[in-house]
Amino acid sequence: MIWQPLAVAFFGGIAVWFGVAVFRTRSMVRSALSLLASMAAIGGMFLAMEAEFLGVLQLMMMATEMAIMAVFMVMYMMDPGGLGQMDMSHQKRSSLAAGALGGLAALGVALLVDWGPIAPAAPTAGEQTRALGIEMMTRSLMIFETAAVTILVAMIAAVAVAIGRRR
Amino acid sequence: MTTLLIALVVGAVLFAVGLYGALSQTNLVMIMMGVELMLGAAMVNLVAFWRFLHPGAFSGQFFVLVVMTVMAIEADVGFGLGTGRFRAKGSVEMEEAAELKG
Repeated sequence: MIWQPLAVAFFGGIAVWFGVAVFRTRSMVRSALSLLASMAAIGGMFLAMEAEFLGVLQLMMMATEMAIMAVFMVMYMMDPGGLGQMDMSHQKRSSLAAGALGGLAALGVALLVDWGPIAPAAPTAGEQTRALGIEMMTRSLMIFETAAVTILVAMIAAVAVAIGRRR
Repeated sequence: MTTLLIALVVGAVLFAVGLYGALSQTNLVMIMMGVELMLGAAMVNLVAFWRFLHPGAFSGQFFVLVVMTVMAIEADVGFGLGTGRFRAKGSVEMEEAAELKG
């Protein structure tokens, strides 16, 4: 499958390009749209790696989440379009050093570890979706339920925090 | 092996960019974007490990669903805090939020 490494590299390059663009622009809306493109490219990588269900889920979920993020950007910022060229960053050098260090550590692990034999083929999309459903409803049911309750609690807590104190 | 390595390298670079963003930005929503990129990098690695090392073990795919849930919770709590902060102080600039240190 010659197309697979090419497709993963192509979508990976787009994900990295737009990931960098998120922090290079002064426009909040452009940042949100760049993150959307980066997350969509990650969805493309999932599809290229034959994880069809997760790829489609990533594309749908991230499109929604980034649209909400862009709306909040416009709500919170006086200058969401970045027309005033206001700089909203600090401690750039130490952040750059931390990012480079984290990236190099991850790269080192990726390149130096012997990952063992590579699986030649993945199950078909239909088999994957079925097996993931069975995994979710049997062995990982407790984790699934815990995640569901956690997200419910987080939603209630977020609304409580956002409403603020009543006098 | 090549495709696994490409995916892992992309994951490492995305993680580095996200870490830089989370540490260098002063706006709450931009910090959240950095965290989202880091979680995206984790998902890329998880899918690559599932596909190329253990395609029969669907706990790998399930782990990706858990990370997606974490992303949703992070956005939910972050926007809740941001809205509370904006209502109280009129800004989500974290440099002006030193009192949150406790």
